[in-house]
Amino acid sequence: MKRLYIILSAALIALSSCHKQEEWDNDPMGNFDALWTIIDEHYCFFEYKDIDWKAVGETYRAKVRPDMTSKELFVVCSDMVNELRDGHTNLISSWDVSHYRFWEDYPQNYDKRIVEQYYLNYNFKTASGIDYAIMSNNMGYMYYGDFATNIGEGNLDYLLAELAGTDGLVIDVRDNGGGFLTNAEKLIARFIDTKIYAGAISHKTGPGHNDFSEPYDYYFSPSDAGRIRYLKPIVILTNRSSYSATNNFVSIMKYRPNVKIVGDSTGGGSGMPFTSELPNGWTIRFSACSITDPEGNITEWGVEPSEGCKIDNTPEDIYNHRDAILELGFATLEKMIATTH
Amino acid sequence: MRHLRSILSTLAILLAGFAMQAADGDSIVRPVNVAYTAEYGAASLLDTYLTPIRYEGWHVRLGYERNQAMRFSPRKWLMQMSFGVRYDNVQNIVKNRTMHSLMVDFNWGMMHRWRDVASVKGLQLMGGGSTLFDGGATYNQYNSNNPVSVKIRWSVNLTGMAVYNMNIGKLPLTLRYQATIPVAGLFFSPEYGEAFYEIYLGNTRSLVNFGWWGNRFDMTNLLTADLHFGATSLRIGYRNTIENSWVHNLNTQVSTHSLVIGVSGEWMSVNPRRDINHNAKIITALY
Repeated sequence: MKRLYIILSAALIALSSCHKQEEWDNDPMGNFDALWTIIDEHYCFFEYKDIDWKAVGETYRAKVRPDMTSKELFVVCSDMVNELRDGHTNLISSWDVSHYRFWEDYPQNYDKRIVEQYYLNYNFKTASGIDYAIMSNNMGYMYYGDFATNIGEGNLDYLLAELAGTDGLVIDVRDNGGGFLTNAEKLIARFIDTKIYAGAISHKTGPGHNDFSEPYDYYFSPSDAGRIRYLKPIVILTNRSSYSATNNFVSIMKYRPNVKIVGDSTGGGSGMPFTSELPNGWTIRFSACSITDPEGNITEWGVEPSEGCKIDNTPEDIYNHRDAILELGFATLEKMIATTH
Repeated sequence: MRHLRSILSTLAILLAGFAMQAADGDSIVRPVNVAYTAEYGAASLLDTYLTPIRYEGWHVRLGYERNQAMRFSPRKWLMQMSFGVRYDNVQNIVKNRTMHSLMVDFNWGMMHRWRDVASVKGLQLMGGGSTLFDGGATYNQYNSNNPVSVKIRWSVNLTGMAVYNMNIGKLPLTLRYQATIPVAGLFFSPEYGEAFYEIYLGNTRSLVNFGWWGNRFDMTNLLTADLHFGATSLRIGYRNTIENSWVHNLNTQVSTHSLVIGVSGEWMSVNPRRDINHNAKIITALY
């Protein structure tokens, strides 16, 4: 009898490791519930954004009908996830991708053609996706438009060797929608000479809205000895389309003593996105891990420019082929250089 | 004190076994039973780190297995070693996404052998323990910061085997059923929503987990028939694997069913500088 009890206990324990997984029907309500549940259990900014996800679900569930088409369901589901006000949240079907286009409410503040034609005179070089040039005022300019473009260490050496004789550097990351955080780290490593505190990252540990891990502090180290570093005054130009990994880059650089941020606030996007899927094969991407800046701030809504450096390009500026942000960037840099001398 | 005594007794028995082998080592030959197999079948995979949807598809494995009577007590103990590389190609229900799983497994164990059990001639039962290293990854190319589920585990297992040698007409046949169940071990798992970028930054907290039947249950069932056409045998069979884990609120359920086909045989190593002892006793592992 005792032996039987032991065997039964072992079997029960074994069964406990086989956890029942919630399954949804592949119909409008099943797919809606799957989407709502995935976001409910994994999204990381409910409390920060003060979102009542249960109420949101009830509002949009009322719009789901068993006989609705996939395209109708996609509209309802897209509207629901846009309630998260999150540029990292996209519902992806075979025919469309939902977007929360927050930047539509702000001036674009960047025209590549104006910069290349009227400021660089098309006289620039490109390495690892970074355009760079030395301006007539002996200041360096580099434009990095996509953090998804991998940066080679050798390319950075060539680029920074060329800019080494300049008095200061403008790094333009306007319209850079993000990419790999490892590229942000690689770039920052060239602008520091000691190990720096970069911020903290925390992730969901369970399905509850407040199930988070202890924030993990992370640090960036300077590039390897022998690599070229740039430690002179730096101005970073930003707009609302400076998003995700770009936001992370700016949020860390902002606290360097030789750096100022000029332009508009970045677009934010401090949540690292995860991806999941619905029974009908649609993909859902959403913010899953929260990253804070070196001051402990969540920068999901963006990084503000440095004091006195907030500026927009007006329609008149654009009409006159003028980039006011770039000009303020150089003016700010001049002041910084004058202060250091 | 009682435990110490039993450990010392076990050591004494093992040493006696080695001593016996030294005494009559020349008179016993222990051929190595080797099998090379290919397996093909169906796989079902759920890994909620990647997706809450269960994927299904096909499974293939290339395997090597080696059995040999052990030197210290060849009549009663045998050693088993196996190595395999397996690949699963699975799709979601609507078949618009594919996941790939590539794994490598290595298993080593020792089993005690009982011959002619219940007075049935040719029936052997084996039971013992083994240790398994299993590692690899499942890749979902559509995911952003959770594209890979890394699988690494080490476990200590219970294993049991029944072997029955018989004839069908004039064809000698060896039937074997083996079940292996990990009892405890260590395995890797990120936390619920932990990105590999965070691990890359250096956060290794909670990645290594103690595995027991409360958070994971795995099992391998193997049924083979070796048809002895000559010196080399044809092996056909069926393998079933079950892997379930529930840790950090992450659910993993993987199962495979596959047909096994391969060749097996018994190999002896001969030292050309020494005469062959024609009176040597041959103690095989399976046949």
